[in-house]
Amino acid sequence: MVTRGTLIYIGQRLVLIAFTVLVVSFGVFAVVHSLPGNAFVSDRVHGRALQILLHEYGLDQPIPVQYWSFLRGAVHGDLGVSLYVRGLPITPLVLRELSVSALLGGSALIVTIGLGVTFGVLAAVRQNSWVDYLLTSIAVVGYSVPSFVIASLGILIFGQWLNNITNGAVFYPEPWTGNYGTLTELSLPAIALGFYSSGQITRMTRAAMLDVFQQDYIRTARAKGLQNRIVVLRHALRNALVPVTSILGPTIIGVVTGSVVIENIFGIPGLGKEFVESIFQHDYNVTVGVFTIYAVLIGVANLAVDLVYTVIDPRIRY
Amino acid sequence: MTSQKPQKLTLFSACTVGLLLLLLAACAGGASNGGGLASSQVLKFPTYQSPGSWDPGQSTAEVDSEIMQNVFDNLWRFDDNLKLVPDIAATVPTQANGGISSDGLTYTVHLKAGAKFNNGDPITSKDVVYSWNRAAALQGPYASNLSAIAGYSDVQTAAGAPPSNSSGGGTVSFQQNIENRLAANDPKFQMSGVSAPDATTVQIKLAHACGWCLTAWTLEGTTGAIVDEKTVQTDPVNWWSKPVTPGQEGGMVGAGAFYLASFTAKQSMVFKRVPDWWGSPKPSLTEVDIAIHDPSAIAADVSAWEQGSFDLLGYGGNSGTLTYPLIQGIKGNSRFASQFLTQPKGRTTWVSFNVGYPTTGGPFLGESATAKGLRLAFALAVDKNGLASTVCHNVLCSAATGGVITKGLIGYLGDGTDPLAKYDPAQAKSLLQQYDPTGRLTANLKYSYNAGGLNDPVAAYLQNEWQTNLGIHVSLNPSSDASQFINNRLAGKYVISRDGWQFDYNHPQDWFDNLWGYVATAGGSNTSGFDDPTYDSILKRADAQPLDQAVDLYKQLSQLLQQDAVYIPLYYSDGNFAIHSYVKGAGSNTAFDHYWNEISIQSH
Repeated sequence: MVTRGTLIYIGQRLVLIAFTVLVVSFGVFAVVHSLPGNAFVSDRVHGRALQILLHEYGLDQPIPVQYWSFLRGAVHGDLGVSLYVRGLPITPLVLRELSVSALLGGSALIVTIGLGVTFGVLAAVRQNSWVDYLLTSIAVVGYSVPSFVIASLGILIFGQWLNNITNGAVFYPEPWTGNYGTLTELSLPAIALGFYSSGQITRMTRAAMLDVFQQDYIRTARAKGLQNRIVVLRHALRNALVPVTSILGPTIIGVVTGSVVIENIFGIPGLGKEFVESIFQHDYNVTVGVFTIYAVLIGVANLAVDLVYTVIDPRIRY
Repeated sequence: MTSQKPQKLTLFSACTVGLLLLLLAACAGGASNGGGLASSQVLKFPTYQSPGSWDPGQSTAEVDSEIMQNVFDNLWRFDDNLKLVPDIAATVPTQANGGISSDGLTYTVHLKAGAKFNNGDPITSKDVVYSWNRAAALQGPYASNLSAIAGYSDVQTAAGAPPSNSSGGGTVSFQQNIENRLAANDPKFQMSGVSAPDATTVQIKLAHACGWCLTAWTLEGTTGAIVDEKTVQTDPVNWWSKPVTPGQEGGMVGAGAFYLASFTAKQSMVFKRVPDWWGSPKPSLTEVDIAIHDPSAIAADVSAWEQGSFDLLGYGGNSGTLTYPLIQGIKGNSRFASQFLTQPKGRTTWVSFNVGYPTTGGPFLGESATAKGLRLAFALAVDKNGLASTVCHNVLCSAATGGVITKGLIGYLGDGTDPLAKYDPAQAKSLLQQYDPTGRLTANLKYSYNAGGLNDPVAAYLQNEWQTNLGIHVSLNPSSDASQFINNRLAGKYVISRDGWQFDYNHPQDWFDNLWGYVATAGGSNTSGFDDPTYDSILKRADAQPLDQAVDLYKQLSQLLQQDAVYIPLYYSDGNFAIHSYVKGAGSNTAFDHYWNEISIQSH
C-alpha cells in the first residue's frame, strides 16, 4: 500500500534525480562542446561555409546559451537535431535505440537473475557438495572476468572457431544487420552482459539462503513435515531475496553502462553504440541527449529498486 | 489396329519429349541469366554512412552525391564516360550552337519541354533562377561553382549577415530568412547574371570569362541542381530529409528518376521509381533498398551478397570499403571472380610540405635551394610502386606517377611523367648530404596524418622509407580526430603531412584552384602555403579559357609544382565493387556510380 510517507519519499527522490540529471547534462554538454574539432569540417567545409553551419546550428553561441536552448527543448521531450545527419530529430532516434538497448538489457537481466538465483539456491541447498563447489567456482569466474572479455571470447568461439570447424553449421552472425536482432543474435550479447553480474547474484543468494536456512521458522517448517522444495522456494527464497535485491540497483546500472561496451563489440544498434559513435562524430546533441537519458535511467532504476524493497520486505517503510 | 499403335506411340513419345523440354527449359531459366527482366526490379545494397545533407545547396559527402544524382537533376549531366550531355536543358551550350556568346560571357539555355519535378510540377526557367540564387545565398561548400556569375558576391553579401539570434531565440533562421527573401523577390538575393526571359529560357551572364563553369554547374547533387521552391518552402531547413508522400507537398522532391519513399535514420533508405518520369532512359528498377550498416558489417555483407541478399556492394560512395582480404575472397571464388569490378577513382593522395607558412616553419619552408633540395630528397626516397604494392596490394590503389590529377581525368600527365614520382634513393641521399650534411635541419620531423584506413600503413611505409634511404627518423603524428587534423592542415600547421583531393568534376580547375595559389589561399584551403606569382598568372589565364585551350596551361601548372617539389605523389585510389552478373547496367566510372535508371535486374 502506498503511504503518504512513500509518496513524499518518491517526490524527494524525483527532485534529486532531476537535479542530478541537470548537473550531469550540463557537465557533459560543457565537456563535449570543449572538444577540439566539430561535426562539419572537411576538405570542403571550412571558412565561410563552416561558419554559416556553426551559426545555423547555434554552435557559435556561448555554451550557457546553447545549454539553455537544449534544456528548453529537453523538458518538452525535444533533444534537438543531429549535427552528423543534419537536421535529424534526435528524440525519435534515441527512443528507438533505447528500445534496442532495453531488449538487450532485459535479456541480460534475465540471464543475470535467472542464472544467479538458480546457481545460488542450488549451491546453498547442496552446500559443500561438488555442485556447490562447481557453481561457486563459475560465479567466481563470472565476476572476475569483465563482460568485454566474455564477449570477445564468445565471438571467437561461436563466430570463428566453431564456424570453421562446422563449416558454417554453427555460426554466430556479427554484427547485427537488423534493428532488434534475432534470438540467435541476441543470445551471446545477453550472456556476455549478464554473466558478469550473475556471479555476484549467485554468491549473494547462496549466502542469504544459508543464513535463512538457520532461522527458526525454517526449522519449524521442516518440523511441520513440509516438503524440502516448498521450504526452499516458498519460505527460504523469498526472505533470501531481500539482500539480493539490494544489489539489483547497481546490477541494473552495470547492465546499462556495460551495454555501451557490449553494443560496440557486437555492432548492436542501441543507445550505447550511438553514444560512442556520436563522440567520434562530434555529434554533440546526440552525445548529450544519450547521456541525459542514461542519467535518467540510472536514477529511476535506483528509485525503482528502493521501492521494490518495500514489496519484498514489508518491514521497510519510507 | 496395327496401323494405329505406332501413331499412339509417336504421340506418347512426342508428349514425353515435350514435357522433358518444358522441364529442361524451366530448370535452365532458374539457373542462368535468361536475358529477360526479372519479375522483381528491386535493387538492394548496403551503405556504411548515413547521409549528411541531401540539400543540394549544402551537400558535401560522396555518399550523398551518389544518391542525390538519382533524385535531383541539373541542366546538364555527365554521362558514364564523364561527357557533358543535356539533362533538363535541351542542349549543351557552345559557341557553335549559339548557346555561348562570342565573348564567352553570356550563356543562353533552353529547357526541355516536359521536364518536371517528381511531384508533377513543370520545371520552368524560374525554378533554375530560384535554385541557383538559393545556392549562392546558402554559401555551401560548392557555392563557388557559381562564383563567376554576375552578382554572385552581392547575393552572398546580402545573405551573409544572418540574424544574430537565429539559433537561440526561436526567430527566423538563416535558411528561413533566405527563403523569405527569395519568395519576396528581394533583388539583393538575386544574382543579376541569372534571368528568365521566358518560361523555357535561362540567360546566364558572367562577370568574367570562365572556361570551367559549365562543368562545375553540371556537378550532380550540388549547387547546380534544380529544386522546387514550393517544396523547399514547406520546411526550408529540413525539407530534403523527409520522404515524399505521393499527393502531398514537401519532402525530398527533385527532378530525377527516383524519389525518397522512406528513411529510417542509421537503418535504411528506400527510393522508388517516379511514375512516368520525364527523362530517359526510363528506369526498369521499381525500387532501390539501401541498408545503412555499421562499417564492421562489411564481412557479413559480403556473405550476404554471395548469398544473393544484396545485389551489389560498393555503390553509394562505398567503393573504398571492401578490404583486401575480402577482395581476395571474392576474386578467389570462381563463382564470383567475374563479378568483381575495380575502377580507378578520381582521388589522389600525396604528402604536403609546409612551403609557405613561416609561423609553422620547418626545413621545407620557402624557395631556397636548401628547402627545394630537401623536399626533392624526401620525394625521391619513397618508392611509390613499392607503396602501391605493399600497402594496396595493387588492388586498393596504384602508384601516382602521372601528376596530381588522377589517371583517367583531364589534366593527367601520363604514366611515369611526374619527376617527383621517381624512386632514386642514391640521389635522395646525395641531396640530403648536400643540403643538410649535419642532419640538424631534418631532426625531429613529424609526419602528421588522420588515423584510419590506408593512412596508418602508408605512414608506417613512409617512415620506413625515409629511415632506410635517408637515415632520417620521422616520427608519426596520427590524429584520431579527422576534423581536427583537417582544420590544422588547412591552417598550414603541419611541416609535413598527408594530403589529397577527390575531384568534383572533370576539369583541372577543380584541382589547381582549390589546392595551391591565390584562389586556394583566399578560400582557406592552401594546405602547403604554395604561393607563386607565375602560378597565379597562368592559373588566371587557364581558368578563363575554354577547356581545349586551357589544358596546356594547366599542365604548365603541374610542372611548376613539380619543379618546386611542393608535394610527394603517393597513390591514386581504386574503387572496388562486387556486382552480380544479373544486375545489368550497374558499374562505375572515375567519378560516380552509374545512374540507377540505367540498371535492370535480369532473370537469374
